[in-house]
Amino acid sequence: MDRTPQIKVENLSKFYQMGEVQVKALDDVSFEIYEGEFVAILGPSGSGKSTLLNIMGGMDLPTAGRVIVADEEITKYNDAKLTAYRREKVGFVFQFYNLMANLTARENVELAVEICKDTMDIDEVLEQVGLSERKDHFPSQLSGGEQQRVAIARAVAKNPLLILCDEPTGALDYSTGILILSLLRNINKNLNKTVVVITHNMAVGDMADRVIKMRSGKITEIKENPDPIPPERIEW
Amino acid sequence: MKKLDLRLLRMIKSSKGQFISVVVIITVALSIFISFSTTAVNMRNAIDYYYEETKLSHIHVQLMRIPQSVLKQVESIEGVTDVQGRISFDVPLKTDDDEEKVRIRIISLPKGGGKVNRLYSPDTIDEISQSDAILIRQFAEARNLKPGDIIVPYINGREHSLKVIGIASSSEFVYLMENEQTMMPAPEKFGVVYVTEEFAQSVYGYKGNYNELLIRVEDESMIEDVADELDKKIDKYGIKRIIKREDQLSHKILTQELKGLDMMAAAIPVLFLIVAGIIISIVLSRMVSNDRMAIGVLKAIGYRNREVLFHYLKYAFIIGVTGSVLGIILGLILAGEMSEIYAIFFEIPLLNIDIHYIYIIYSLILTCLFCAASGLMGARQVLKIMPAESMRPELPKSGKHIFIEKIGFLWRRLSFSWKMVIRNILRSKRRFAFLVIGLSMAFAINTVPTYMWDSSTGMFYIQFGQFQKMDYIIGLARPMNEDVIYDLKGLIKDGKLEPRIEYPFEISNGWKKLNASIIGIPRDSQFYEFRNVYDEKVALPDKGIFITEYMAKILNVKKGDRVKVKNFIPGKDDMYFEVKEIIRQYLGANAYMDIEHMRETLTEKNMINGFSIASKEDLKTKLEDVRNISSVSSIDDMTKTFEKYIDVMLLSINIMMLFGGVLGFALIYNSTIISIGERRMELAALRVMGFDKKEIFWMLAKENLVITSIAIFLGIPMGIGMINSMADAFNTELYSLPMIITPKTFIIAGLSTIMFAAIAQLAALKRIRNINFIDALKSRIS
Repeated sequence: MDRTPQIKVENLSKFYQMGEVQVKALDDVSFEIYEGEFVAILGPSGSGKSTLLNIMGGMDLPTAGRVIVADEEITKYNDAKLTAYRREKVGFVFQFYNLMANLTARENVELAVEICKDTMDIDEVLEQVGLSERKDHFPSQLSGGEQQRVAIARAVAKNPLLILCDEPTGALDYSTGILILSLLRNINKNLNKTVVVITHNMAVGDMADRVIKMRSGKITEIKENPDPIPPERIEW
Repeated sequence: MKKLDLRLLRMIKSSKGQFISVVVIITVALSIFISFSTTAVNMRNAIDYYYEETKLSHIHVQLMRIPQSVLKQVESIEGVTDVQGRISFDVPLKTDDDEEKVRIRIISLPKGGGKVNRLYSPDTIDEISQSDAILIRQFAEARNLKPGDIIVPYINGREHSLKVIGIASSSEFVYLMENEQTMMPAPEKFGVVYVTEEFAQSVYGYKGNYNELLIRVEDESMIEDVADELDKKIDKYGIKRIIKREDQLSHKILTQELKGLDMMAAAIPVLFLIVAGIIISIVLSRMVSNDRMAIGVLKAIGYRNREVLFHYLKYAFIIGVTGSVLGIILGLILAGEMSEIYAIFFEIPLLNIDIHYIYIIYSLILTCLFCAASGLMGARQVLKIMPAESMRPELPKSGKHIFIEKIGFLWRRLSFSWKMVIRNILRSKRRFAFLVIGLSMAFAINTVPTYMWDSSTGMFYIQFGQFQKMDYIIGLARPMNEDVIYDLKGLIKDGKLEPRIEYPFEISNGWKKLNASIIGIPRDSQFYEFRNVYDEKVALPDKGIFITEYMAKILNVKKGDRVKVKNFIPGKDDMYFEVKEIIRQYLGANAYMDIEHMRETLTEKNMINGFSIASKEDLKTKLEDVRNISSVSSIDDMTKTFEKYIDVMLLSINIMMLFGGVLGFALIYNSTIISIGERRMELAALRVMGFDKKEIFWMLAKENLVITSIAIFLGIPMGIGMINSMADAFNTELYSLPMIITPKTFIIAGLSTIMFAAIAQLAALKRIRNINFIDALKSRIS
């Protein structure tokens, strides 16, 4: 396996001023992620994992430090370049799916694909996430799990370098959560996409290639998992 | 189709009511703009062409008597290209119904139709001979007279039979009115009959002479100079009036009508577009805050700021384009209809209904500008939404104390539900301000029709009920010794008579001048009442002159200033008079003097040329055929004509009320729907707590009532301003609208505004019914 890191996070810090107190959302964080890895960033709420994901996804800028993705220092980007980066390189999956309510499943995927150059076949992606039958339904006609699968298809179809997932199972029941996790794992394996999942659910760590644990804006542990277990077997 | 556009279309589909209400406003705005502008331009073009085709005179001179041979002399005046003399006099026409009084103006026509004021007819008319007549079209149509019919005018006490050989239009009588005192045309009561010169001269006793000259000049800029020169050269022939093109009655009314059209074409659409803009901006700003999370997602998946902004701006543009297209189509259709209506009021045979593409382009530019501005104002919040933050639920709006709470004694007195109402209204100050401005405008528009009604009826009834109390005004064919009053008294059984003199003069102050009549009446007149601009009763002085407000404005004179009166009567000098008072007069513009003083200075001793009479008798029949009486105007007849005209006015007033109402409706409808959408959760919570739908409906109704009341309050000065500019635009020599603004004006406008607001609120009622409070409370995304 090629061991040059795809993402390098170096001494990343993000401070907020809340009244008189300075909140250190991220405090000197460094790690690396390799191409095709399934990475779990674990930590309780308020540990800084969302801030980290936002910066990696080009939605936010750090106070200090840098993030290098495929040899490009995205933390130096201006607004236009960040938008282009989000457009071409990153796929997002959110906790609450965040689909456009008045577009069908397929149209939601098209919405994302329309603005990208090198994309995947939409119907094939919908087939992969198991939604071929339901692609003409509106979000309100779909279950939570189905909506999240649309969201995953939307992220994947852009053919991005990496897929960032923010608590993708947070709003789902246990068995649906497992299904979503295995779908993400399959996409990671079959399409060789780097997948980063942030969650407070420690059990997700068992299925990841690399686990980064966070607390109060700092990394407490980085663990490589040489032998991840299939998502179907994790329990919480 | 781009998926973002698809999203937009579905958004529009799910809020059809809002979309349609704004589209309707823009459609109305543009259809008014297009139809009024197009009609005005078409009329102007047609009239210019018509005037040139028929060689309408630039100067029309009325005089006592001028020999044919003097015409050569007039032709030699520099700038004059054509001169034509004619005979013109008014006589009664014999009709089958003895009760009916019809007057005609007999006008002589040179052989071959002449070089000036040629008649226009699509049919060929044979050369006219001694006993033939050509009728003016309006009159022929109103009385159903056709070629071959015989008409019988009384001329100098004798009946003459004339055979109608043709029907034609004249550019001189595009708007057919007997004189300035007639308020509106009555083509079945007054017509023009063209006869040969020989016939006219012989029956009128004017062999070899004329009493009118028609003059055309090289260039319109020379009219003034030529008129001055005429005054010197032919003064001895007894000039009564020199009427320049701009003072020509038919032309003046037409010009005034077109000026009104221009004003309406500019003002109403802009007012409507402002309201449309306000609604678009409110709707969009609500839409953006509603879509906060969706906007965040769009940005997260790589949509650029401007792409997202444009997505929302497109909403404004789709409204603009739909409204423009509908408005332009409707405007073009209406332009045709309007031109036809105008063609009924004004006899313009060469009226073409052309499309003027420039107005379509103007409409599109105007609408796009308004939509872009209001769209940006409403949607600019898009730029501030950060993708990372938008994923988190929005913080509750920080509750703030509002200023009214500080007024403790007031606030404590309010019930809980009123407190909530007031807080809600003030929660978005900008929207509140916009709504109030928009509704104030709707209210102000509503004040105009009531005012127009009050002032037009007031204009008439004050003039003839208060200022002038006679029943008849009699005109004599020539000035006569005042002893004639005794002859007349013999004819009238019971009634009061007063002598009067009325002569046209040119009144000037420096280079400012106008043509107007001076009326001389006894100082102790029982018929005339004068009031100055402060509405104080004033008595006619023994020396000096009273002039009307309109004249004072045109001449730029104040009480105490002196004006020059140029005398057309042969052998009389120009005189200066002190303006003793500026008086109110709503119909006509003329000056008043003591009859004795007038005879000493301007006319001749002991001579009069008319009477004012108060009598319940039907003098019209009785006096019309009396020798030396040339006109009998009955105030009662004028009232009847006026009341007919009022029906037409009522229709346009109702239409205007509807316009104001549509604006008010759209504003309240949209803001209520937005308010319900925005507060779904809050309203659902109230439902859970046990409020019923009615109570929630009333809470929203109270909010709207408060906003509408404030708007009405602020709309009062706006309405006064609008009424003032309206009155200003309509004031002319012929009439000026009195400032009759009463509480009624505002009460009616207010009630109509409230009524439309209530209808809008009821239309939004469905949305309250549809709040499923369990769903509303569960979902975070409203």
